[in-house]
Amino acid sequence: MKTKNLFRVAFVAAVCVSFFSSCDPTDDNNTTPEISTGLFTLNQGEFGKNNASLTYYDFANGFASNYVFEDKNNRGLGDTGQDMIKYGSKIYIAMYKSSLIEVVNAKTGVSIKSIPMKNAQDASSSPRSLVALNGKVYISLYDGHVAKLDTVTLMVEKTITVGPNPEGITIANNKLYVANSGGMQMVMDSTVSVIDLVTFSETKKIKVNVNPGTLKADSYGDVYVVSSGDYGAKPGKFQRIEAGTDKVSDIAVAVKGFDIVGDKAYIYNFEYDANWAVANKTVKIYDVKTEKLLTDNVIAATTLDKTPYGINVDPVSKNIFVGVTDYENNGKMYCFGEDGVLKYTFTTGVNPTKIVFTTNK
Amino acid sequence: MLAFALTGSLYVYSVDIEVDSVRTRTLNTLQVEAKQQQTTRAAMPVQVYSQREIKSLNALTVTDIAKFFSGVSVKDYGGIGGLKTVSVRGMGSNFTGVNYDGVMMSDIQSGQIDLGRFSIENVSEVTLSNGQPDDIFNSARVFASASVLSIKTKFLAYNQTKLHEAKLTLRTGSFGMLNPSFFMAKNAGEKWAFNFSTDMLTADGTYPFLQYYGNKFNLSEVLKRTNSDVKSARTEVNSEYRINSNEKLSLKFNHFISERGLPGVVTFYNTDVSNQRLNDQSLFGQIHYENKTSKKLQHQYFARYNRSYNHFSDKDAKYQGGILNDEFLQQEFYMSSVLKIHLFQTLQLAAATDWWYNNLDKQTNINFRNFAYPTRHTGLANIALKHFSEKLMLSANLLYTLTREHVRVGIAAPDRNKLSPTVSATFKPSADTDFRIRAFYKNIYRLPTFNDLYYQEIGYTNLRPENAHQFNVGFTFSDSNIPFLSILELTTDAYYNRITDKIIAIPRDLFHWSMTNKGLVAIKGLDVNLKASSKISRLGEIRILTNYSYQNAKDMTPDTENYGEQIPLTPQHAGSTSLSLAKKWWELGYNFQFTGVRWVGQLTDSRNKMEAYTTHSVYANFNYKSWELKTELLNVFNTQYEVVKFYPMPRRNFRITAAYNF
Repeated sequence: MKTKNLFRVAFVAAVCVSFFSSCDPTDDNNTTPEISTGLFTLNQGEFGKNNASLTYYDFANGFASNYVFEDKNNRGLGDTGQDMIKYGSKIYIAMYKSSLIEVVNAKTGVSIKSIPMKNAQDASSSPRSLVALNGKVYISLYDGHVAKLDTVTLMVEKTITVGPNPEGITIANNKLYVANSGGMQMVMDSTVSVIDLVTFSETKKIKVNVNPGTLKADSYGDVYVVSSGDYGAKPGKFQRIEAGTDKVSDIAVAVKGFDIVGDKAYIYNFEYDANWAVANKTVKIYDVKTEKLLTDNVIAATTLDKTPYGINVDPVSKNIFVGVTDYENNGKMYCFGEDGVLKYTFTTGVNPTKIVFTTNK
Repeated sequence: MLAFALTGSLYVYSVDIEVDSVRTRTLNTLQVEAKQQQTTRAAMPVQVYSQREIKSLNALTVTDIAKFFSGVSVKDYGGIGGLKTVSVRGMGSNFTGVNYDGVMMSDIQSGQIDLGRFSIENVSEVTLSNGQPDDIFNSARVFASASVLSIKTKFLAYNQTKLHEAKLTLRTGSFGMLNPSFFMAKNAGEKWAFNFSTDMLTADGTYPFLQYYGNKFNLSEVLKRTNSDVKSARTEVNSEYRINSNEKLSLKFNHFISERGLPGVVTFYNTDVSNQRLNDQSLFGQIHYENKTSKKLQHQYFARYNRSYNHFSDKDAKYQGGILNDEFLQQEFYMSSVLKIHLFQTLQLAAATDWWYNNLDKQTNINFRNFAYPTRHTGLANIALKHFSEKLMLSANLLYTLTREHVRVGIAAPDRNKLSPTVSATFKPSADTDFRIRAFYKNIYRLPTFNDLYYQEIGYTNLRPENAHQFNVGFTFSDSNIPFLSILELTTDAYYNRITDKIIAIPRDLFHWSMTNKGLVAIKGLDVNLKASSKISRLGEIRILTNYSYQNAKDMTPDTENYGEQIPLTPQHAGSTSLSLAKKWWELGYNFQFTGVRWVGQLTDSRNKMEAYTTHSVYANFNYKSWELKTELLNVFNTQYEVVKFYPMPRRNFRITAAYNF
């Protein structure tokens, strides 16, 4: 990437101004918000459209502001925001097609560093998911690797090989678990790589259902896996890798995506009808301690506008945030109380997926 | 057509100023008259660029010519080797048929014909017909599109004094382009005529472009477009056997091969985004027999075999083995017979039946399973009636379409049987003025392509054909008695198109889409065309070709947020003007194109807006004896623009062409 030219100011703009240009009614004159106590939503954007973005929602005044990253940094976030975590005072964003990690100051929204993720051939290694522990951010890379990033130097310390096309990544029992989807192979993969955090090397592969994606760990060391199946004969599954034994068991709950906070897994799901229309949109709550489904649809009183795309739960208030999308237009974020009662909604960018909570206190 | 044109009151068109005329005078007169009649007499709007006019359009391929038709949006991904397709009046490129010397081109896989593959070196005329061509003596397939772009190749008319002509051309220019071509036409006695044309193109295809990271007030950077190199070669052989003056047999063989990089969409902060390559190999052979001996009964037959192979590869570490290889092979066997009967002095009846067979094979190294290996039989039958007098022309036809599909794996698409009618009329109120009012209605189906139906995980076999209703009213005016002007032609048409069951992809997630018949689009538009040329020989010949299009193309798909919004990438306003001044030894020209604001998503978000742009190009031609020299400067003001979002187009560039005729 030609970072040396990146901040060249656009003096050439004058050349390009067409004499047909006129006033634009949609030019938003939003003043850039001060970051206070609220949340950032990562809007994945559309693949190949360079329209990933951050929405900031302020808890105090209830005002949602799209394009916060662009407003604060005078440039777009890039193409396909795949994952976002907050660790310490920084936010880390995995940009898949732009193939970089964007490190952002959580208190200001200002970029600290863009870290290109390139392999030995200087080709895109395409970051996918993030997890952090003990001053390191671990990044699954779609070209079959996991990288370890130091959060002080913001340099990649080491990259190791895992299975093909890794997706979700999580930490349990002082080990890294990485879902190898194998989505770009002759035959899809069905393993989870286990990596020792001390030696930072793969110790084993656990067999799960085909095409594993999201991975989350609970506080008891169990790892939960959602797999999408092979889009053919083999359907997707929700599975648990048991702490200690690494024994894999199926959980009879249909899951598209989930988040774990405390002893609960918050799950969203939907189905397609014969015409590929979305039906049966639900948010379920599953107890990860007792391994029981607590409620089949906690938001039964609310009909979601569009297709659920991400679920995030506030660890403090236990509010459930469900982002919905039609994959093309701006999305919407629903905020439900723990009891499933709708509190508020706000407009997001395209494909709202991840949330991090921030406070300036 | 010729006979019909001659029955009308003809103005005399000056042939002397046809600079490139190498044919005999009598024949040329007839052809020019017939051509001029097309645009203003036709009941369905038709726009024609003759060989002479093509010279003044700064065109490298047929795509560049199509940009000067009103109502046309050319999807241009930039670069010399990039894919270029044409959609007309907001209807999607699959609705546009491409007629190459009487036979429709086909691509059963994607339904889109890449116009970039047609060189203009052997082209004599390019025509765009909305609805369908006016001539009812055509194969049924010509009636089966919503609009037809017709390409006619050059042929040498029999002339006792000149039995052959040849032209050697060398073109070079920006993007490391080198484009030699050779054309030869020969008459072997009165019966046989041959022509041979070949050209090769190589280009590294790189060019600098200015990229804004977000809106135009953001940071920007000058980057280089890479992986857009191309190597291609095209060869065509034609032969005509004139059994007698009204009966002939023609043969055509065409071969095209290309290997090119696909630069892909620009990705912010990542210049390593595309290592995609596309290798195309296609050939077709066609045979045509035509018999116009009898005034009462005329008939013609076509047959064609077409084979297209393409190999797409993408180098990326995410793939097993670091590379994706997709290979497709499609074939078509086609036959057609056409019959025309003159029932009465003013009434003609034509009947045509077409039958063709398609198949598609695929190989890939990634995630390959359950490919359908589809085959399709398509049958068409068309019956057309045409009544004409000097005052009134009425035409109607009914087209019957049937498809029968089979697959080796999975479920085949159901049989389709469709009837689609067309009616058209022109009326000339006054015998003294060449002013006509015209109208047409056409209903046509667009059959789903094999990609729509069978693409892995995306295709949906229950797709119905897209259904288009086209309504058009307009007027035409031409006059050759205006002071200082040798000809003035003005056509204006207003239209309403409604497309139901539009095949659109709806997403299941970011990477998995499914095809459905959900879309509904309504387009209200206006096309205006003006052609004029001067006749003051002292000043040289001055020509102006200009057009304007208005397209209010609204997405009316229910239950979506985009209901009532302009469809993506379609400008409301667009237009072009071409000006040229020709003297005996030289010619100067200027071309201007304007494309209004377009949108790529919902109109409430300014990030979805694509700015309007104008491009200006100039050229100078010199002719001396057998030599021609042409220099072109394109996009003179170095405008950075995009036709498709994040596919930046080249800024200022040039071409130099030298040709020797012998």
